[in-house]
Amino acid sequence: MKMSFMTGSLASSLLLATTLSSVHAADMTFERALKADAEPQNWILHHQNYAAHRYSRLNEINQTTIKNLRVAWTVALGGFQSGGRYESGNLEVTPIVEDGMMYVTDGWGSVYGMDIKNGRKADIKWKMDPGTDRAWAGDVACCGVNNRGVALWKDKIVSVGLDGRLFLINKATGEMIWERKVAEPALGETITAAPLVVRDKAIVGSAGGEFGIRGYLDGTDLNTGKAAWRTFTIPGKGEPGNETWKDGKDHWMHGGASVWVTPTYDAALDTFYVGVGNAGPDYDPEFRPGDNKWAASVLAIAPEDGKIRWGFQYTPNDPYDYDEISEHPLIDAKVNGQDRKLVTHGARNGFYYVLDRTNGTFVNGKQYIDKLTWTTGLDPKTGLPLEYDPKKDVQDYVMGSHGTRAKPLSNVKCPTTTGGKNWEPAAFNPDLNLMYLPTAEGCNMLEMQIHADFADQGGTVKPRDRFTGGSGKAAGDVTGAIKALDPVTGELKATARWNYPNWSGILATSGNLIFAGWIDGEFKAYDGKTLQEVWSFNTGCGIKAPPVSYSINGKQYISVAAGPFFLGTKPPELKNYTTCSMIYTFTL
Amino acid sequence: MTSTLKGFFFSILATILLIGMAAPSAYAQDAAEAREIEYGKDIFKTKATCQFCHKWDGSGDQGYGGNAPSLRKTELNPDQVKEVVKCGRIGTGMPYHDKFAYTDKRCYGAVRDELGTDIPPIGNEYLQPREIEAVVKYVFTKVHGRGEATYDECTEFWGKESRQCDQYKK
Repeated sequence: MKMSFMTGSLASSLLLATTLSSVHAADMTFERALKADAEPQNWILHHQNYAAHRYSRLNEINQTTIKNLRVAWTVALGGFQSGGRYESGNLEVTPIVEDGMMYVTDGWGSVYGMDIKNGRKADIKWKMDPGTDRAWAGDVACCGVNNRGVALWKDKIVSVGLDGRLFLINKATGEMIWERKVAEPALGETITAAPLVVRDKAIVGSAGGEFGIRGYLDGTDLNTGKAAWRTFTIPGKGEPGNETWKDGKDHWMHGGASVWVTPTYDAALDTFYVGVGNAGPDYDPEFRPGDNKWAASVLAIAPEDGKIRWGFQYTPNDPYDYDEISEHPLIDAKVNGQDRKLVTHGARNGFYYVLDRTNGTFVNGKQYIDKLTWTTGLDPKTGLPLEYDPKKDVQDYVMGSHGTRAKPLSNVKCPTTTGGKNWEPAAFNPDLNLMYLPTAEGCNMLEMQIHADFADQGGTVKPRDRFTGGSGKAAGDVTGAIKALDPVTGELKATARWNYPNWSGILATSGNLIFAGWIDGEFKAYDGKTLQEVWSFNTGCGIKAPPVSYSINGKQYISVAAGPFFLGTKPPELKNYTTCSMIYTFTL
Repeated sequence: MTSTLKGFFFSILATILLIGMAAPSAYAQDAAEAREIEYGKDIFKTKATCQFCHKWDGSGDQGYGGNAPSLRKTELNPDQVKEVVKCGRIGTGMPYHDKFAYTDKRCYGAVRDELGTDIPPIGNEYLQPREIEAVVKYVFTKVHGRGEATYDECTEFWGKESRQCDQYKK
């Protein structure tokens, strides 16, 4: 009897285990991550693949069927709480989708695990609210309460909180397994980027470029929950690059160079590529004479130990806040008949850059934004702005394009402070060989203010104080566009314009379509080649998060988060728009 | 009872009556004022998020909102601050909060088309006159004229449950 009971119990356990394993998704492994393109039914990496193509290989939704695209389901998320300087959380998440489950975050770092298998309803199975210290973290968030999403690892979820913590979560239940404090809000540091997981390391960086931080990349060993390495984006005393901070007062220690967007990764070179933010104080380059490496740069870094392999600086001694944090898509292409491994970047400074990703040498750069006035162009050999003078400690670029201590108010210069393109991700269609950049078209002025030193350097500025050296000043409307470029030459192939800057980023699909959202709630599909609009839907509240695509039981879906505005100036015609916190999902 | 004595008692009675009547009304006035200040604080902190640019303690700040002056040190009087909250400041990042500003001549005698790119930005939320009164009351009761922010001021603003005020501990 006893024996048979045990046998029965064992059998039912086995049955249960089999059932569970067939219901639950496979573990997320490094091998799966490397082959993300082979799982078009899922969206398992933040940027779709490690190369940040944001390209779905599904084509059920295509130029013929697009007219039948309709809402499949919507679901409301939270994250509206006020905190620090903000009335409400923001919504900039890229959903992760794996075998009929979707994982999203709201601005305050709550993670939602949703069963979306039935195709007409998102069933929120669990919500993990990390209990972010909202006043403390929200007071040192420069630009909204943000969290751009999670990463998968084994049978777990890796997420972050604005107050600087990294979390490991049980994917099935939402239970927090451990948390590790990475960034320190007491120093003005926060985390908003979705983690990059390479093998068993979770890599994040510190935001806080407007608060006098010294930026860094940080690796966590996910097996132990302990720090693996930390690499500062501003080299310390004696390290190469530190000599580019020539003030003689160690201003590099508060020089900014933050990180707040997920890097790209090349397994063959075992290197990740990360955009680095502006130098601080943002608008007073005389405070920090020298090139200020590696602010406004890209760094190539080894994921195992954090060693810097190479760096390339876009705007030395940046006086514009051209914060080059955004993604660096990787492509392999022929340049002058030669096969090259390339890293690309739609830069905030208005140029599209192509570099050799094996060594960081400049390959090509071309203006993608309508108006660019801070420099007259890039040196075709070095990729540096033509006015860049290595003998000068403080760069003028085009005279009057930024504030100086002698003349604090600049002339009107383009692109604006927020850049030709900000964090909103590009997409790349390898079949059409087109890179799609979301843009903000416009100009503004800068108003420099002299900043005191930090208290630990003999001044009055305390940790957590804003450290910007002035501010931007509006100079007319800013509109937006999506621009399709030749990914190697940067040559403009097509443009779609809209009345507002694009704050959502782009999804490209092999249905020869691209999708993008706009702050007036318009969610639009465009012909991938001509960028002619082919479909639209209005969500009734602003979209500033990137769309994704996936399939369930062979049926293709498109999802996008619609959420609150950035705290800033609303265009007059949108003045009565209010906020929401929703996921919209479409299907045929 | 002499008339003097009578008068004495009468005046005591009158005083008692007066105290009895005055105390609750003074109390009510204080309570109403405290409520208005608290209401103003909520507008300063959350609804209009004045603190985004002026900092929670009103000491002024730089950054994406513009170069915002200190409200602790402002030389403007309450009526002038009311006007600035209502109308914004032309040519700066200070937004207007009267929904109908620049649709007619109520603000500095100017309408939108005349101002071009100098038009102030639109506030995050519009404010009714009662709200503008309250937020200005808050500024002139709790912010204006004060020196460096203290730990107590910080916890009064943020509460004690956050680490936000740790930096002000002596």
